[in-house]
Amino acid sequence: MRKWITLLSVPLLSLAIFLGLYFFDNAESSNKGPVQPVRFSHKIHAGAENDQIPCQYCHSFVDVSPNPGIPSVQKCMGCHTHIAGRDVEYDFGGTTINLQQEIAKVREYWAKKEPIPWNKVNTMPGYVHFNHKRHIKRGFECATCHGDVANMDQVYQVTRLNMGFCITCHTENAKDHEELARLKDCLSCHY
Amino acid sequence: MSQDKKGGLKRRDFLKIIGVAGGTAAVAGGCSNPAEQIIPYVIPPEGIIPGVPNWYASTCRECPAGCGIIVKNREGRAIKVEGNPKNPINMGGSCAEGQAMLQGLYNPDRIRSPLSRSDLGRLEPQGWDNAQKMLTEKIEEVRKKGGNGRIVFLSDHNEGTLGNLIGDWMSALGGKHLTYEAYSYEPLKEANRIVFGIDKIPTYNIDKTKYLLSFGADFIETWLSPTLYARQFSEMHGYKDKSMGKFVHVEPRASLTGVNADEWVSIKPGTEAVLALGIANVIVSEGMSANGGGGFAGLLGAYTPEKVSSVTDVPVDTIKEIAGEFSSMQPSLAIGGGIANTSTNATETLVAINILNYVAGNVGQTIDFGNALTLSGVSTFKEISSLVDSMSKGEVDLLFIYNVNPVFTLPRSLGFEDALGKVPYVVSFSSFMDETTEKANLILPDSTTLESWGDFIPDARVHGLIQPVMTPVFNTRSTGDVILSVTAQLEGLKGRYTQVSYYDYLRDSWKRVWTSVTGGGDFEMFWNTALENGGIYRDVTPVQVSASGNISGVSFGEPEFTGDGDFYFMAYPSYKYYDGRGANKPWLQELPDAITTGVWDSWVEMHPDTAKRLGVKLGDFVKIESPYGTIETQAYVYEGIRPDTLAVMIGQGHTSYGRYAKDRGVNPLSILPVSTDKITGSFAWLTTKVKASGTGRNAQFVQTQYTTTQHDRDVAQMVTLTELEHGLHHEEHEEPDFYPPIEYDRYHWGMSIDLQKCTGCGACITACYAENNIPFVGKELVAKRRDMAWLRIDRFFEKSDNKAGFETRFLPMLCQQCNNAPCEPVCPVFATYHNPEGLNGMIYNRCVGTRYCSNNCTYSVRKFNWFSYKIPDPLNWQYNPDVTVRDKGVMEKCTFCVQRIIYAKDQAKDKGRDVLDGEFQVACQQSCASGAIEFGNLKDPESRVSKLSHDERGYRVLNQLNTQPNITYLKKVKWDKA
Repeated sequence: MRKWITLLSVPLLSLAIFLGLYFFDNAESSNKGPVQPVRFSHKIHAGAENDQIPCQYCHSFVDVSPNPGIPSVQKCMGCHTHIAGRDVEYDFGGTTINLQQEIAKVREYWAKKEPIPWNKVNTMPGYVHFNHKRHIKRGFECATCHGDVANMDQVYQVTRLNMGFCITCHTENAKDHEELARLKDCLSCHY
Repeated sequence: MSQDKKGGLKRRDFLKIIGVAGGTAAVAGGCSNPAEQIIPYVIPPEGIIPGVPNWYASTCRECPAGCGIIVKNREGRAIKVEGNPKNPINMGGSCAEGQAMLQGLYNPDRIRSPLSRSDLGRLEPQGWDNAQKMLTEKIEEVRKKGGNGRIVFLSDHNEGTLGNLIGDWMSALGGKHLTYEAYSYEPLKEANRIVFGIDKIPTYNIDKTKYLLSFGADFIETWLSPTLYARQFSEMHGYKDKSMGKFVHVEPRASLTGVNADEWVSIKPGTEAVLALGIANVIVSEGMSANGGGGFAGLLGAYTPEKVSSVTDVPVDTIKEIAGEFSSMQPSLAIGGGIANTSTNATETLVAINILNYVAGNVGQTIDFGNALTLSGVSTFKEISSLVDSMSKGEVDLLFIYNVNPVFTLPRSLGFEDALGKVPYVVSFSSFMDETTEKANLILPDSTTLESWGDFIPDARVHGLIQPVMTPVFNTRSTGDVILSVTAQLEGLKGRYTQVSYYDYLRDSWKRVWTSVTGGGDFEMFWNTALENGGIYRDVTPVQVSASGNISGVSFGEPEFTGDGDFYFMAYPSYKYYDGRGANKPWLQELPDAITTGVWDSWVEMHPDTAKRLGVKLGDFVKIESPYGTIETQAYVYEGIRPDTLAVMIGQGHTSYGRYAKDRGVNPLSILPVSTDKITGSFAWLTTKVKASGTGRNAQFVQTQYTTTQHDRDVAQMVTLTELEHGLHHEEHEEPDFYPPIEYDRYHWGMSIDLQKCTGCGACITACYAENNIPFVGKELVAKRRDMAWLRIDRFFEKSDNKAGFETRFLPMLCQQCNNAPCEPVCPVFATYHNPEGLNGMIYNRCVGTRYCSNNCTYSVRKFNWFSYKIPDPLNWQYNPDVTVRDKGVMEKCTFCVQRIIYAKDQAKDKGRDVLDGEFQVACQQSCASGAIEFGNLKDPESRVSKLSHDERGYRVLNQLNTQPNITYLKKVKWDKA
């Protein structure tokens, strides 16, 4: 009997840890996505009811480079030298933050001349070479893959960006047989 | 047995539990994404777009040739070096050393900050301010003592602004500036003074010749400007319009240059002068000379073919044949002065070669003194020896060492190392801990060429600019800056240089260049254009010379040899390591030697007869003894060397110089005497006779190709000129096939490789390593045949009816991108497949490592990652971000640089058109100075590669197996006409 308890305890404990982690990771929360060093709200900056800054104002290389570009701290300060933010509480998708305090963090990074270590939201493995430029030039909206970022406070990944997602879209959008062959070619992304 | 006495867990139960627990943990762990960060710029640098490469033009300083380079920079890091197509020296080509300069920049064994020797004799890190203060104090101390020449600056050949600054600084300090190059070609200069009255090293126009006769000039390897001459040689020796030039190489050993010759003529060491005069004599006496021999006719008369033959061991018929061809195939050219063949009569030999050129009417045709090399101006060996002398007498108080490693590159018997010990204070500017630097009192590490400003003038045509392509990797400072800021602290010299930085100094110096070149205009525009082009290039009017018949003082005596052994000992310069400076770069260590295919070591080359006599075989350790020392290294048995000669490569045998160079191979310089050329007093390398004996020890000779023959498979094919003249029966019929041929839409990528142009130099291999993140694996794994090269050069020695009795064929072998690929159907997971553009795709993330593909590959070009090869920081900074770094358990192979194809298609699409022919180049093709490789779209009938794929010399390797490769090889052409 004692032997059985010993034998079973380890798998049971493991199962408990697994389930705990599983539900923690998939917990339904309005605040999905990684927590960022600065509670930057895309909703405030790009949202239809707010500032409506176009995506490309900050992600300015998206149509010239495979990488869309993350704004430099200098770019943040381009506005936030003048905009200190209101000293009000803001419901950041369930978490209460103070807008002025968050902007103060940005100014602090700038004063120290340090980059803001953003956490990556949409991650692609190293063996996938995705080219933003080609997709933007073809006329796709950012939202097609990234979702309605303009209405997110904390940005989270909307689509899993797995190969099925890519291929489905490629298949639907290919102009002709030749293009389809090219768009389904492994070497287009994996090299 | 099932019951454990103590009631505890049994091993089997324990494993079961661990298995379940581990599995659960793995599943649970797999749910969350690894935390990855995006670090933005604080202030974005101008002109950098993440993901888009920038190219900067600069000048290579890996050897004195001074080729132009362009460096690819991604997100602030240099990731690839290529030849600058605008530079008239290399015109886009490069060599393996140039490709590997990135591994100098990112070398993990670089000196990371200034170091000074403490009282206990240890080298300790210093800040720059402190280190410069120490130098300032030391200089003041020596200056107070008074006396000229107590400060010496020993630098490499540094023609240009830095050379001028050092010279000026030394004259201000009452010191001396010496420029030391291990290979200084003094006899060449002196022989030109004697015969033509010009004390310079000219540029030879090999490309304009129809017949090239080289007396040991290894122009594909190290001689003067190897990339320039490799390109010229390809022009001259490539098959074009039903003809090609002929190349004959005379040397005791068939070097890499020698095996590229149509005829290799083996000659007794040191007797080249006699042969040259003998050939000239035949030309004059048989009335084949336009000028009748001029004033030399009398001298030549004594050199009858029979007499010459007995001295040189070259048959009479050969002498007459060469003479006939040399005078009839005009313009012809004779060159000489290779380092390995420098004996005590080196200048006489070159005088004789000059006479031969004069007699055949080549002077002014194929030798251009207008474009003289600045290498003509380096310090002589006499000056270096007298420096050693005064150092050991205690006459030098302060010695600066810059970019040279004399402890290693001077023969040990000269005693530089001991003399260095007598100098109270030695300052080294080296970025690497080499044999000389480790003896220094103060080390002020210089930024490398890729991190600093500068310029270099290799010849009269080119004034190359050097610009930093990235911020310094370590806490190094450019020596120009150090000199300026130290001088600003010196008594009485504070105002000597008005410029604060070396960049300003360089620009001010270029303002003078600007005035002399343009005579006015906008300097900024001139400067920016020069930066963009990598310097300024000008046309030089050829200088006509005439030979003076007065060569009194030249006696054409016999060479002198030290030692009483049976074997002439050749220490030959390496095309990979040059004088040893390349040995710390793992790409060069792993690049198989073209002849032996040996890696990461030294060896002694010997004739099969010699091996028999000594009772040794491949891989046996041989002891080589001279009166000055002994070395022991493995034997490589090779037909291309005289039975009375042994040869060891220079460049290995470092006792320091970082983890990749240290304690590897032997340094032949350690057993050489200080013998000099009689006329110039320059160092002579081929002056020793050694004893050799087997040691009884044997080890595997680590090489990449264990066979020397093709086993009748005829993979490296050859055709004779006569056959080509009669027209080849070119087979292009379609083999009947059960399956229809593959249809391609817009692109069908293909390659052609001209075996007549390939010299086997290996630049393409190193370029491939750099472009495709190929790991180097080290000697132990190469020994197990686990080298990772995607591109290798197979070399075969075939029996032949030529004078040497054998001929060498090089066959660059890479994935053939077969249309009917044997690797594809055996892959159980579709990791390798045929793509719609004719590429044989290799998808790393699909690969599960069954290795079936490699097993089934006809060409053995697939490489398997047996390990995850981690390379030390910061070598990994060089990685190309456009190529996946492969991991353990994954197969890999040549992809035809698919990342470059995709980049080119992307650029073309932005312009709304298809990719044009020649718009982009794959890495191997780009590096090839000979232009042996072409790449392009076979679908376009007008593309160069399309045309070459239907060339009469075209064939596909092992075509009979119906693999249908996309690479066309063009057969090597054998010279068989009388």
